[in-house]
Amino acid sequence: MPRLLSGALRLRRDPRMLKLPPYLSLLCILVGVVWLFLLPLDEYSRRTYISENALLPGQVHTYFGGSDQNVFRAYKHEVNSLVGKSNVEINDKLESIVKGLGLKAGRQNFTYRSAGRVYSGENLYAILQAPRGDATEAIVLVAAWENAKEELNRNGVALVLTLARYFKRWSLWSKDIIFLVTPDSIAGPQAWVDAYHDAHDSARVDSLPLKSGALQGAIAIDYAKEGRFESVHIVYDGVNGQLPNLDLINSVVSIAGGQMGMGVAIQEMWGHNDQYPDRLRTMLRGMLKQGLGLASGPHSSFIPYHVDAVTLQPFGDGWQDEMAMGRVVEGTFRSLNNLLEHLHQSFFFYLLMQRERFVSIGTYLPSAMLVAANFTIMAIALWVKSGQPEGEAEPVKMEADGIGSGETTRAPAVERDLFLPLGVVTICQFLAVIPFYLFNHAPDSMLTPAFTIFAVINTALPHSLSHLLTTYYTPSAQQYQLIKSFSLLLLGMFLSSLATLNFSLAFLVGLLTSPLTFMRPWPQSPAMRTACTVLLNAVSPTAVLVAAAFAWHLDINTVLREAAFAWDVCGMYTPVVVWCVWWPAWLAGSVTVLGRPEVGKTKQKTT
Amino acid sequence: MRQLLSLLLLSLVALFFAPRASAADYHEQLVLRPLPLSALLASFNFRSNTTLSAFEAHNFRFFPRSLGQILQHAGTRELHLRFSLGRWDAESWGARPWDGAREGGTGVELWAWLEADTDEEADRKWRTLTNALSGLFCASLNFIDGTRTTRPVMSFQPEGNHPNSAMTNVHLLYGVLPHEVVCTENLTPFLKLLPCKGKAGIATLLDGHKLFDASWQSMAIDVRPVCPPGGECVLEMEQTIDMVLDIERSKRPRGNPIPRPPPAHELKCDTAKPYHSGDTCFPADYNANQDWSLSQIFGKTMKGTCPLTDPNVPPVCLQVPNSRGVYITEGATEKKNLDLVSRCYEIAPDTPEFEMVLPRPESSEESGQAVAVQEVVKPETPLLYAERSFTGHGQEHGGVQTILRNPSPDTKVEFIYMETLPWFMRIYLHTIEARIEGQAGSSKQDPLIQEVYYRPAVDRARGTQLEVRMRIPPASTVFLTYDFEKSILRYTEYPPDANRGFDVAAAVITILNPNPNATSPRFAAYNLRTTSLLCSLPTPDFSMPYNVIIFTSTAIALAFGGMFNIIVRRFVAADEGPEMTLTAIKERLRKRFGGLLQKYRGKGG
Repeated sequence: MPRLLSGALRLRRDPRMLKLPPYLSLLCILVGVVWLFLLPLDEYSRRTYISENALLPGQVHTYFGGSDQNVFRAYKHEVNSLVGKSNVEINDKLESIVKGLGLKAGRQNFTYRSAGRVYSGENLYAILQAPRGDATEAIVLVAAWENAKEELNRNGVALVLTLARYFKRWSLWSKDIIFLVTPDSIAGPQAWVDAYHDAHDSARVDSLPLKSGALQGAIAIDYAKEGRFESVHIVYDGVNGQLPNLDLINSVVSIAGGQMGMGVAIQEMWGHNDQYPDRLRTMLRGMLKQGLGLASGPHSSFIPYHVDAVTLQPFGDGWQDEMAMGRVVEGTFRSLNNLLEHLHQSFFFYLLMQRERFVSIGTYLPSAMLVAANFTIMAIALWVKSGQPEGEAEPVKMEADGIGSGETTRAPAVERDLFLPLGVVTICQFLAVIPFYLFNHAPDSMLTPAFTIFAVINTALPHSLSHLLTTYYTPSAQQYQLIKSFSLLLLGMFLSSLATLNFSLAFLVGLLTSPLTFMRPWPQSPAMRTACTVLLNAVSPTAVLVAAAFAWHLDINTVLREAAFAWDVCGMYTPVVVWCVWWPAWLAGSVTVLGRPEVGKTKQKTT
Repeated sequence: MRQLLSLLLLSLVALFFAPRASAADYHEQLVLRPLPLSALLASFNFRSNTTLSAFEAHNFRFFPRSLGQILQHAGTRELHLRFSLGRWDAESWGARPWDGAREGGTGVELWAWLEADTDEEADRKWRTLTNALSGLFCASLNFIDGTRTTRPVMSFQPEGNHPNSAMTNVHLLYGVLPHEVVCTENLTPFLKLLPCKGKAGIATLLDGHKLFDASWQSMAIDVRPVCPPGGECVLEMEQTIDMVLDIERSKRPRGNPIPRPPPAHELKCDTAKPYHSGDTCFPADYNANQDWSLSQIFGKTMKGTCPLTDPNVPPVCLQVPNSRGVYITEGATEKKNLDLVSRCYEIAPDTPEFEMVLPRPESSEESGQAVAVQEVVKPETPLLYAERSFTGHGQEHGGVQTILRNPSPDTKVEFIYMETLPWFMRIYLHTIEARIEGQAGSSKQDPLIQEVYYRPAVDRARGTQLEVRMRIPPASTVFLTYDFEKSILRYTEYPPDANRGFDVAAAVITILNPNPNATSPRFAAYNLRTTSLLCSLPTPDFSMPYNVIIFTSTAIALAFGGMFNIIVRRFVAADEGPEMTLTAIKERLRKRFGGLLQKYRGKGG
């Protein structure tokens, strides 16, 4: 052991050590990426299984159907007659129906303001009190009047009404069932869930007049499709990449796929052959959605409150009718009703690559951690390097002599000039407040111009900052190293902690910022400097945003408005990561690339 | 011989009964009250009296011996035991039966006045009482330990007549088990206490399947001494069962309890809808479900009357408007009361079975809603509505919010709000706040909170007791809120279903009688209980300790050897220590074996 220690100590002084970190960093990035691509293989992913035995999915016979279809048709007529009416008129009618069923009904107003727009409406909900229960637990059935794509959810609302009437007849419910009809898919459920947990801002969202017990689960029906369907699409992404318990998804898969014999799809993979390319595509889509952290449906708002929720969307042309969809919901509710404890058994951190195949956090986390670690490795290497005299050949010779003569002559330590690097990194971090504030508070019409102006300034900013630096402070190579070291240290730290919260976001940002590891000033080579600048501009947050918007055929205005809305309403923190983690690191990196260090300055100092 | 013996026995029994059986010693009554939204309240009441002297002489007749001996052994002056399930829907059903005096919160509730000289003795007797009752009623009453027992100060007053001298050394103890699930095993011992068991009289209608399928049910046992003016003091035991049945659910036949969708032609549709057709039906059946018969509702008919009951008290009463017709079995007589909304039935002693049918009101087929109101007696408005829920989320802090609404347009309501909280909910008393909806705070002159009694919790020893006397102005809604902190339990203190959460007992609200006088001496005008709550505490992942053990063992195994080596080894500089090069070894070898070699050589030479 001591020999090993002294060996390690001797290795520290080996000049070859300092050459290693860039290669080590590159290796980390490559291993991280390759790791991710290995995950869909059979050897690395696992089949899903029901961990909570109490769920017993698909073990009960479902009876929804028969004459309930007649009732469904009538409710569908009622819903159709309400199309185009105001939110209040719709709720008046729906309230009279649910009250006629003998349920307690409540309403709630909400008004959100974001990007100069007003999102307001009124939620309607009805509580079916558990026939023999006490108001201790509840499960929620949600149907938004309009789904996330702003299509009218006619069948969904009618189905919820029919199911409310059907569920009322059963005496086996151990939990209250709450039927929630919201005017839209994101703001309405968010307002309701916030108010249910008294976490709402009472200036924007009203309190709930009626409450039940602790929410144990929620299912949202998004059934805008007319006619018969083939399969069910499960949407499970929550806000900020949080996911529902895997047992809930497994139960739905087992009930819809196993018991009802309909197909089940995830992540908009309408056909899935369970081969490597499809699995990879499913996983990457999931990661992208998770990374963006947007609310994907009415269920998304529930997940931050530790209420497991999914949205079910019928799709495809087949022979399944509304009653089959109702039976899937019935089966799922019967399973949730069986729960004695809150869903806690199965996984909360996972990547699904097929409806029955997943990887858990232990398997996938190293890839994001490796990518984040590459920044930390480089930062530490730069810190060590900045403490050694400038010029690369000299210390090697000196140490080589030292070893040869048997003396432990160390390279003379260099005093590090910390003020300027710390100042630059701090200023970069604080500048991040500007875009963050701008894009979250600019009115809708100003978003595109603001973005254009910002993009232009963003391209010029590193140049002007670098010019300022060289003109007034003439920083040395060591100071540039330190700037880069601090900025990478921060980035590595942020990303590794983010990886435990939102793996995909950390991984994506890590990949996009990975060139920063290899940026350094090129005082002698203008060509390299230009090339690096161009590369950095290509992976700048603004450029990536434009490219992404172009790739998905969205306009920038929509993207920014959605981001501002998600930040204001759902508390999505992706903008914080982009502007306060990614952008400052990028800015510091760009300044480093454009830097012209004063050669020989540090040398004079050390003597 | 045998005939003779039985004859002798019979005559003996008759002799035994004849002189003492004053008819007023026992009576039973069933009151049926249809409620709006297709519900039916059935209140069973059994009352038996024993003179205190007979009781003290261990002379039991109507009073069950099993319970009597327990009471005597534990020195119990007055006992109240409640088994409840479900919740009373005050919005639709109105005021509670018996003004809420015969009900408890979800689970089991027990309070008793015990005779004891010291607190310790009272605790000991309380433990005896709970353990004995636990065996008698097949309930986990023995789990009412120190952490679940409180001594209410303001909320409860004895119902019976106690001589003042006896009250000086009497202790009130109150315990509650909110998680106890009331079921058939509690009903059977309950029925066994009745003089006619479940064999005759109204008790024959009590069936576990129907009782525990009720939307709300409460079984109560009250034992109290009553001293009628000028008479001998008696020990009165009252057994009450109240239940609210869902008529539609109860009418489902026992053999086919699954609510399958009815055939399409049996659906009751709203034919006025323009889209009404053979395959489209807007249901109109919910409110129109007020026809039933006893055998449909309870699954069987009533088997005559209990021969021991007081014939002057009609065994069955029904509270429906007098305009509705009711069919009854031959042998029973209907007696309509003067209040126009109730009627009672007297059943001749020899009637083998009693059946009652309440047909659907004639005109309701045509015009639905308007007539539906007249089908049932309009329920009385309760004095107060209360609803309690948790606020906040997360596993560190939380809050409790109780919404109290006084529906009366002109009367204040004064009441005592009592909470018994488990010790792991540490409440912050300074955050307790009452505010009227729409107002910033309560006024200085007439504060909402009049008086607070608070007994803080001691970890693992006793729970929090909080009693608040409040006064709510007419027609207003008051929010009573307070915050609490959740403690972290020890690893072994979690129950097997730790992730379910921990039940918090219902809050007891006792509305004080505004003007207690001779005619209405009752201390409480009305009682109600909120629903119980489920509090989730920070719960560890129980597989974690094993992971930790494995991880630390591995770490220690790997690190210990090396660390130990480094710590105990002496380090010296390379030139100070013995050289361990090849030449040194050679040298050492030469030193050791050199002599030998030379000797050998010398010998050889």
